[in-house]
Amino acid sequence: MYATYVIWSKHMTKFFHSTEEALGLALQSVLWVVLFGVGMRGIVTQVEGRDYLTFILPGIIALSALAGSVGGGIMLLDERLRGITREYLVSPIPRLSILLGNAASTSTKALLQALLMLVIGMLMGVRLTGNPLGWLMALLLVALFTLGFSGLALAVASVSRSIMGYHGMIFLLNLPLLFASNALYPLDVLPAWMRTLVLFNPTTYLIDAVRSLAFGAQPSLVLTNSIAIVTVFAAIGMWLALSAFRRSIRS
Amino acid sequence: MATAAIEANGLVKRYGDVTAVAGIDLTVAAHSIYALVGPNGAGKTTTINMLTTLTPPTAGHVRVAGYDVQRQARQVRQCIGVTFQDIVLDGDLTGRQVLDIHGKLYRMSRQERKRRITELVQLVQLEDVLDRCVKTYSGGMKRRLELARGLLTNPQVLFLDEPTQGLDPQNRVGIWNYIRHLNREHGLTLLLTTHYMEEAEMLAHTVGIIDRGLLVVEGKPADLVATLGANVIRIHGQGDRRHFIQQLGNLPFVDRVQVDEQDSVVQVYVDNGNRRLVEIVQAASGNGFRVEEIAVAQPGLSDVFLRYTGHALRD
Repeated sequence: MYATYVIWSKHMTKFFHSTEEALGLALQSVLWVVLFGVGMRGIVTQVEGRDYLTFILPGIIALSALAGSVGGGIMLLDERLRGITREYLVSPIPRLSILLGNAASTSTKALLQALLMLVIGMLMGVRLTGNPLGWLMALLLVALFTLGFSGLALAVASVSRSIMGYHGMIFLLNLPLLFASNALYPLDVLPAWMRTLVLFNPTTYLIDAVRSLAFGAQPSLVLTNSIAIVTVFAAIGMWLALSAFRRSIRS
Repeated sequence: MATAAIEANGLVKRYGDVTAVAGIDLTVAAHSIYALVGPNGAGKTTTINMLTTLTPPTAGHVRVAGYDVQRQARQVRQCIGVTFQDIVLDGDLTGRQVLDIHGKLYRMSRQERKRRITELVQLVQLEDVLDRCVKTYSGGMKRRLELARGLLTNPQVLFLDEPTQGLDPQNRVGIWNYIRHLNREHGLTLLLTTHYMEEAEMLAHTVGIIDRGLLVVEGKPADLVATLGANVIRIHGQGDRRHFIQQLGNLPFVDRVQVDEQDSVVQVYVDNGNRRLVEIVQAASGNGFRVEEIAVAQPGLSDVFLRYTGHALRD
């Protein structure tokens, strides 16, 4: 998987080259946490006996992981439409590494963003658990989740014919994944039908696990199940990406 | 290794109802330059895509450097270099990064990458701009960088799809010189496509003319031209062209008459252009055809193209 590393490092080089992208990502994180956190604090003070910012921080992190994955898909689409992928395709590397390299760089960016958000959150009074292993696990889950959603985005990017078409399709995925989850409201307050819907969403499991691992909340779902589901989601996402990508390069 | 660097048999590519390549047999001798010539849409790029493992053929077999492109794609990829028709570079990377990343994809060691990059950048004269972002390069510099990238991994066979498209004459001659140098000094096998006849004439040991997905004729440029006759007389004019052509055909010294419908030029292949000029003008005036312009020329590859495809090659 050396080729994955090469493609990952290429994307990271480009990322740090382009100050707009790096700065934009950082600013986005700050704005989300500060504005959304402070704004919502005015109307909701506590959820499940905890500070609301502590409650929604995992949700915001998941949201930015979603946004990052969408960006990763655009990167592939752009490279595909401009023909840059052909450089990879004529070189002796596995096809999967093109996708993994892309998804890995997306995950790395999402992790950087998550870290930054955690730091800002802590500056604003969010308290983490005292267990660094829990933080690590939580970050690992964020990375896996990003891989999974990157997979979906890359699958769409493999078949889209234009940036506009890609946005149209991805928009259909993105918002429901956020709102039909436990990102903004706890599971217990939801009516049964919505609870069922929310339980079909892998985002829910990520957020619940992160809340319990990094913030010490009582998990609403079985933690090991959540971890397993996020892991399976990552595998399914990448599998979808690979089969869509294979189909697109076979013509 | 077999003597042929590329061997394609019965190559076909269909996209739904559209046939892009209709059955091509092609052999490129090792250490030679082969030019695939034809208009845009003739099937050149599709052919290159099949030869370089990018597109699986609908039918037919290809071996490159002795490996089957479908069953041994990885080995083929390991020993070829490719530059594409359109410029395929990441504008946000520097020239050095572009080359370095490419070398890494082929698992070249750090020292080897460094050595090759220094060597090639000197060859294509990009030393001064190597650490600048590619987006600041001119079109010619980008092409040269792509050429260096294609060569970085020491390929046995280099594929160049329209290597000089969109370049100014100076840059074009530069690229030609690199290509000849690589072939002569390093014995590199090159397959290039072009729709510039002069390019094929200048560079190639073997030219294959491709039109509507078929290889219509193949040979050494000089041989192909020699089959046409010693001279060609090109005539522009008004009047009863059909009758005039018939008359020309009856003249004993005329080898062949060809008409390019789009340009309405009558081309007459004769044994000696200067001597026959007057006789041809006479034949015209006696048959209701008024000659407006007439010129004697040496036939070239573009005349070969016209002969075998029935239409002229245009950019």
